[in-house]
Amino acid sequence: MRSIQFIANLPAPWRVAAIAFAGALLISALLLAAGFSPLQALFVLIEQSLGNGNGLSEVVVRSVPLTLAGLGIAVAFRARVFNVGADGQIIFGAIGFVGFSLALPGLSGWVLLPLSMVAAIVGGGLWGGIAGVLRARYNANEIIVTIMLTYVAFQALGWAIRGPLQESAQIFPRSDAVPDGVLLGTMIEGTRLHWGLAIALLAVAATYVALRYTSFGFRLDAVGENPLAARFSGIRDRTMIALSLTISGGLAGLAGAVEIAGVHGRLQDAFAEGTGITAIAVALLARLNPLFIPLTALMFAVLSVGASGLQRQLGIPFPLVHIVEAIVILAFVIAGALQNADRGVRDA
Amino acid sequence: MGPARDAGAPLLELRGITKCFGRLTANDDISLRVSRGEVVGLLGENGAGKSTLMNVLSGLIQPDQGDISLTGKAVSFASPRDAVAAGIGMVHQHFMLVPTLSVIENIALGDRSLRLFPLDLSGIRDRLAKVSNQVGLEVDPDATVGRLGIGEQQRVEIARVLCHDARILILDEPTAVLTPEESTQLFEAVRSMAAAGTSVILISHKLDDIFGICSRVAVLRQGRKVLDAPLDETDRDALVHAMVGDTVSAPHGERVSPPGPPIVTVKDLRLKRDNGATLIDDLNVEVRAGEILGVAGIEGNGQRELAECIAGLRRPDAGEISYDGEPIYGSMTPRRLRQMGLRHITEDRHGTGILPDQPLSENHLLGHIRNPRFNRRSWLQRHAAKEATASIIDQYDVRAAGADAPMGSLSGGNQQKAVLGRELADGIRFLIAAHPTRGLDIRTIAFIQRQLLELRDAGVGILLISSDLNEIWRLSDTILVFGGGNAFGPVSAETTSLPEVGAWMAGHQ
Repeated sequence: MRSIQFIANLPAPWRVAAIAFAGALLISALLLAAGFSPLQALFVLIEQSLGNGNGLSEVVVRSVPLTLAGLGIAVAFRARVFNVGADGQIIFGAIGFVGFSLALPGLSGWVLLPLSMVAAIVGGGLWGGIAGVLRARYNANEIIVTIMLTYVAFQALGWAIRGPLQESAQIFPRSDAVPDGVLLGTMIEGTRLHWGLAIALLAVAATYVALRYTSFGFRLDAVGENPLAARFSGIRDRTMIALSLTISGGLAGLAGAVEIAGVHGRLQDAFAEGTGITAIAVALLARLNPLFIPLTALMFAVLSVGASGLQRQLGIPFPLVHIVEAIVILAFVIAGALQNADRGVRDA
Repeated sequence: MGPARDAGAPLLELRGITKCFGRLTANDDISLRVSRGEVVGLLGENGAGKSTLMNVLSGLIQPDQGDISLTGKAVSFASPRDAVAAGIGMVHQHFMLVPTLSVIENIALGDRSLRLFPLDLSGIRDRLAKVSNQVGLEVDPDATVGRLGIGEQQRVEIARVLCHDARILILDEPTAVLTPEESTQLFEAVRSMAAAGTSVILISHKLDDIFGICSRVAVLRQGRKVLDAPLDETDRDALVHAMVGDTVSAPHGERVSPPGPPIVTVKDLRLKRDNGATLIDDLNVEVRAGEILGVAGIEGNGQRELAECIAGLRRPDAGEISYDGEPIYGSMTPRRLRQMGLRHITEDRHGTGILPDQPLSENHLLGHIRNPRFNRRSWLQRHAAKEATASIIDQYDVRAAGADAPMGSLSGGNQQKAVLGRELADGIRFLIAAHPTRGLDIRTIAFIQRQLLELRDAGVGILLISSDLNEIWRLSDTILVFGGGNAFGPVSAETTSLPEVGAWMAGHQ
């Protein structure tokens, strides 16, 4: 405790440096103990993600769902609602997208793609909205409800790709490929970088404008800061809370659809595993500001792409890679929290 | 400590206790003696200094001057723990119990003599049984506190204090939350405690409590002790007079025009507390345009609930309230009421009135988010909000760095002026003003009261809720008193008198 107090008393830049240093030490010690060179690991991590065109495009591809889900989490957080179940909403978005596009394959892509995207937003929005209504009407803790609904979603995905949505050949637990018309083409030839990036950036702009310049954004913030003051002023605070989780889920659902339409082309197990959890860190580190979310999403994408290179290049086992990744995320979150704490002291 | 046995000295003696908070003198040279086995009533309005005095006695705050002695020996309490060790136990109005623990576990909490590994509660169990027997406080030691009713929880609190060997028990408004039967049981317990030698100080607003169990009564007013007498040497009128004082009734401004048609009409209203006890039954009252209806009474007698019902935030347990002839429950929402000119200065400014971290201009938006001036087809007009805020800062003399200053950076009085400015702006027709001047300095109080009178003259209907009788008396055209589970009135301010209103406040016909 005393050392934490000591770090908290440092000026902000030093505090962040101290956390970074502690994280680096911890990771190095772990890698050394497992018989790997930390320096070499660092080199590989950077080289794999930022050192070549392919890596760079993978980073951007990875940042797209993180951005969309991060936006969703930020919207809910603005109303002080903690959506930790974006993973489930991503799954239901993807199910909505795949289910809808496979059900109406005859339509032209120009019609089917937007409609399927809407189906994805509705799917994710419903899944988030359940938690929203439970919170608004019965004051059920949204953290618990969204986590639990995520487990339900994992099972629902498993059932969908082994049951109603399983491929016609009935061999693998996956769906048929979605019609070509709903696939998001590549933006740059020879890479996997797809038009989902444009969708994500549009969503960033739309979310920013909605939160900053509209009455909706104001009401959301008011409910987040003082729900009773909002209610006494005629704002329907419970409705806003239910709505925030619905929109949050809708954005996560869109992330799921973009991931299917841009990368996988069909529904399969674990197609976006962990995106929803990482997106929490993305939103927090961006301080819930939509404009910063693509940047923090890129940071976490670098980490994720580079870390998977560690396994390929150095043979570092995946569990250890995940631990390294987790330590870096924790360090980021702690550093961000320490900076916010400083702000709080000044404001008071 | 080993108390020296001195038959002549009273058990407890407070001498010359003085305590100031800033410019406010909460206790001014107060002395009080309590003998062994005596039940002393401490009477006074809100803000008379009762709580401060008891907080001094229970070690929560230190007096600026004056001293305390127990059985003739001077003592000083640096913390509540010292006071507890000296045998002074306080039962607060809001219980300090952990709802998920059992009765016995709650009593064991904070007991430093307890062995923790392994935990042994049998000693406490024995003590509780003894105490319960002695004073007739029946409590099931293994019941979960959260499942108990209010009266039972209070018994647990009292038993806890007695288990910790209290010689002096302070009860803060013990009957405020009780049903009449529960109050009777409490009084019986207090009588047996006194008979067993425990002294009791009973803080209350209710004359019935005082006459029910006290042998002596002290009255505080504005920080001073104004009366201290054995109960059989005084009477109800004398106590009410001591509590309220000789108020010079300042005229409530010359009326410029008679009141207009009713805006808010309350019919057969019944309000209940969360535990089912009835707060107000069968209330019929109306507030007309250009009229101030003052609701006097000790807090917690249903005033907040009435305000919330009229604002569309709470459903009455029975009866009907209408605004401009339309029933509020059914078609009206708080938002619609606001658009129809209903405004609300809430009693808990921080909890329900403001966004403390946001600038003044955003706080202005909060009250007018549906006004097309600030919200054009969903697009916020922040520049308009800043202009409006700047003119309020000007007009109401709000001391703030500007429209961008966070609300929380202002003093309480300036926050209240900013809230007033927000609520009065753009189309006010009816105002609920709940304790609008509480905790403010004299200048701000005068300013706000003047504003209310000007509003009345401009034809606004006002429901003024206040526990400051003077404020009610000076501003109201019609007075309603909530006290002791009853509503008295409404009566015209011209046909009643201050002592009469004071007696109603004390729950006494």
